[in-house]
Amino acid sequence: MWNTLDTAFFGAVIALLIGGPFAFAVAMTDMPTRRSLGFLLLLPLIIAPQVTALSWLHMTGPSSTLLNMLGIAPAPGTPNPILGRQGIILLFGVQHAPIVFITLRAGLVGLPGDLIEAARASGATPLRAFYTIVLPLMRPWIAAAGALAFVSGIGNFGIPALLGLPVNYLTLPTLIYRQMSSFGPGVLPQMASLSVLIGVLALLGILAQSFAMRGRTTRYGQGRAARISLGQWRYPAAGLAWLLLTVVLLMPALALLTTSLVPAFGVPLTLQTMTLANFEEVLLRQASTIRAFQNSAMLAGAAALILAAVALPIAIVLERFSTPSRRILQGIAELPYALPGIVLAIACILLFLRPLPLIGSLYATAWIILIAYLMRFLTLAMKPVANAVTRIPLEFDEAAATCGASPLRRVVTITAPLAAPAAAAAALLVFMSAFNELTVSALLWSSRNETLGVVLFSLQEAGLGPQAAAIAVATVVVVVALLAVLDRLATRLPQGVLPWR
Amino acid sequence: MRTLLAALVLAAASSSALAAEGTLVLYTSQPNTDAQQTADAFMAKYPDVTVEWVRDGTPRIMAKLSAEIEAGQPQADVLLIADIVTMEGLKADGRLLAFPEAEIEGIDEALVDADRTYFPTKLITTGIVYNTNAPMVPTSWLDLTKPEAANMIAMPSPLTSGAAMIHTVTLTGNLDNGWDFYSALAENGAQASGGNGDVLQAVSGGDKLYGMIVDFMPIREKAKGAPVEFVFPTEGVSAVTEPVAILSTTQNPEAAKAFVNFLLSEEGQSLAVQQGYIPARADAGLPEGYPDRSTINVLPYDAAAALADDAANKERFSELMGQ
Repeated sequence: MWNTLDTAFFGAVIALLIGGPFAFAVAMTDMPTRRSLGFLLLLPLIIAPQVTALSWLHMTGPSSTLLNMLGIAPAPGTPNPILGRQGIILLFGVQHAPIVFITLRAGLVGLPGDLIEAARASGATPLRAFYTIVLPLMRPWIAAAGALAFVSGIGNFGIPALLGLPVNYLTLPTLIYRQMSSFGPGVLPQMASLSVLIGVLALLGILAQSFAMRGRTTRYGQGRAARISLGQWRYPAAGLAWLLLTVVLLMPALALLTTSLVPAFGVPLTLQTMTLANFEEVLLRQASTIRAFQNSAMLAGAAALILAAVALPIAIVLERFSTPSRRILQGIAELPYALPGIVLAIACILLFLRPLPLIGSLYATAWIILIAYLMRFLTLAMKPVANAVTRIPLEFDEAAATCGASPLRRVVTITAPLAAPAAAAAALLVFMSAFNELTVSALLWSSRNETLGVVLFSLQEAGLGPQAAAIAVATVVVVVALLAVLDRLATRLPQGVLPWR
Repeated sequence: MRTLLAALVLAAASSSALAAEGTLVLYTSQPNTDAQQTADAFMAKYPDVTVEWVRDGTPRIMAKLSAEIEAGQPQADVLLIADIVTMEGLKADGRLLAFPEAEIEGIDEALVDADRTYFPTKLITTGIVYNTNAPMVPTSWLDLTKPEAANMIAMPSPLTSGAAMIHTVTLTGNLDNGWDFYSALAENGAQASGGNGDVLQAVSGGDKLYGMIVDFMPIREKAKGAPVEFVFPTEGVSAVTEPVAILSTTQNPEAAKAFVNFLLSEEGQSLAVQQGYIPARADAGLPEGYPDRSTINVLPYDAAAALADDAANKERFSELMGQ
């Protein structure tokens, strides 16, 4: 309990420290290469937490292939510094920095430039303008971003599972997993009450966030977007940003790659020891991993298609509602996403363990995982689609109505085509999130229904670290390829669907 | 009519002797690679059977199975898990299918269940692993309580590993004041968490330098070049037999029986040797890197008591080891 709050809180602080300056630099300065930096910073959001954890694990330990090649590995017999509390906090920070980045950037883009120009004209230094104008105006956004990072930390399972369980450092989600997996459904009642506790903690965070955002209604004129010139500091700032990204993103990714190429854990990587055997094993020989690739692709694909299909009608209906009831409905859709996955998984077990009329017990089938995915990612699909629907000019619809087109026909011929690119983007976002999902699947998987996240975790636990690394590398490749597709699509999408554009 | 009946009888007789076919679901605690090799070797011999397997630590596989039983749809046909204590528990609940005609020739009778519900497939001992960079070469269990090993010991937890549970029962029953030995380990900063795989990675990765672990993992990894050595301590080692059993709820008894016989056959046993395990059949030879069978001193334990005290032992272990 205490661990959960502790790691989530400090993780949020670190996320703010990483994401805040980045958001500022990308949104408000003339730093070179800021766009690609923003894009790269979003990667942790899309790559599964357990993959991030695994890669750091391989980067920092005494047997780190990478550090040993450089000759700066910790001495044998010293524990891996990333295991336990500090590591979890650091990785929460890295993992949730993109959330902070997106939230803050949205706020910064709306800041009127005239205020800053006025301050500058009155003789304030850029720094002073920042302190006296930008920070006060941004306070609600900062609070909201921090609250979001905190909630994500409360519910995160992948990172504390790989970095905490091996040293008995438990957070609430990993405690639930351990009890459930070691004692079975007999402990469900206790676990359910624990998951309610997590839910309450998360809801408090969400409430804090909406409370913070209420202050947003401060009125200021919309002017040109603000830009602060960094002058001679432009290049050093960009260099620093690239350095940071190299350390938190590229180095762990390299470590993961090197580990996936060694024959056994602890063997130094040289040209002689380098092998592709791990990839062969997981991609060609292991039935369970091949099945997991198929399952994850199927489940994520089904979830993506279904959600993209239902998001459009829901968005259209929502648009017809009055604002207060729309808020409530949106809140309901967002709840499963905001609630930690482990809570959702427990809820699903409670719902579907007992046989239901007509369909029987869904426990130990793939359907229970699919249903959980649908609940969890609904809001992810809704956001871009709803965004697109509200931007369609009403005149189109009215013009068609004047010409005598029925409401249904208007939806099919006007709204749907215009919102289609957004729906496609929504589908891809859902696919990428579900493809690597671990939290929900960890409790719901069964034979023949393993997902990638589960298999990776299982390989790591069986002492087959290099093979787990090979799977992780393969999934990263898939996700990055999808991202490239999404980026290509971006030109045909309304502004603001993709967080890095 | 007569001929029809005769044909039917013939058909029935021949169908029972028919080759196994269909799908066979195996729940196992073997590492993923071994589970896959075992399944592949069996499928090569019985091409009409598809083996699907699920792997997790024994306590977790059991938790999964009991959840499925609760939901009214146990998925597994065959269990291949670490220890007989778990099997005894299942047998008491009537969950295992007796298989009196299993081909157990060459297997030590003492290890086979008298009611023929589960059968030993290997002998997996738990000893000490150390990283080749370690300053001390441990030879006795008590070496792990020495100051040289302080905060550098990893051990599997009985909450995750079946072998670890039997190991705890064996050591506490055979060493003088066995639980005191565990208290001394705890005071020496031993970290008990996860399964044997976690211990392997901690020691070969150098996070820890010493560990309690099942024999085949370090011996196999050493052959691949990992910096680890395995020791059979002087006091003796604990052992599990990795029994296989058929569930009474199996959908495919024919294939399940074929699978059990395959594991017990010379072919299945020599596969175990190739994978680096001590086989259950004494005549199947030994993998590279093991001392002669007669020199391995396996300590006894009381299986009935272990089953009765299972929860209490786990509780006591967790309390001592600060889990």
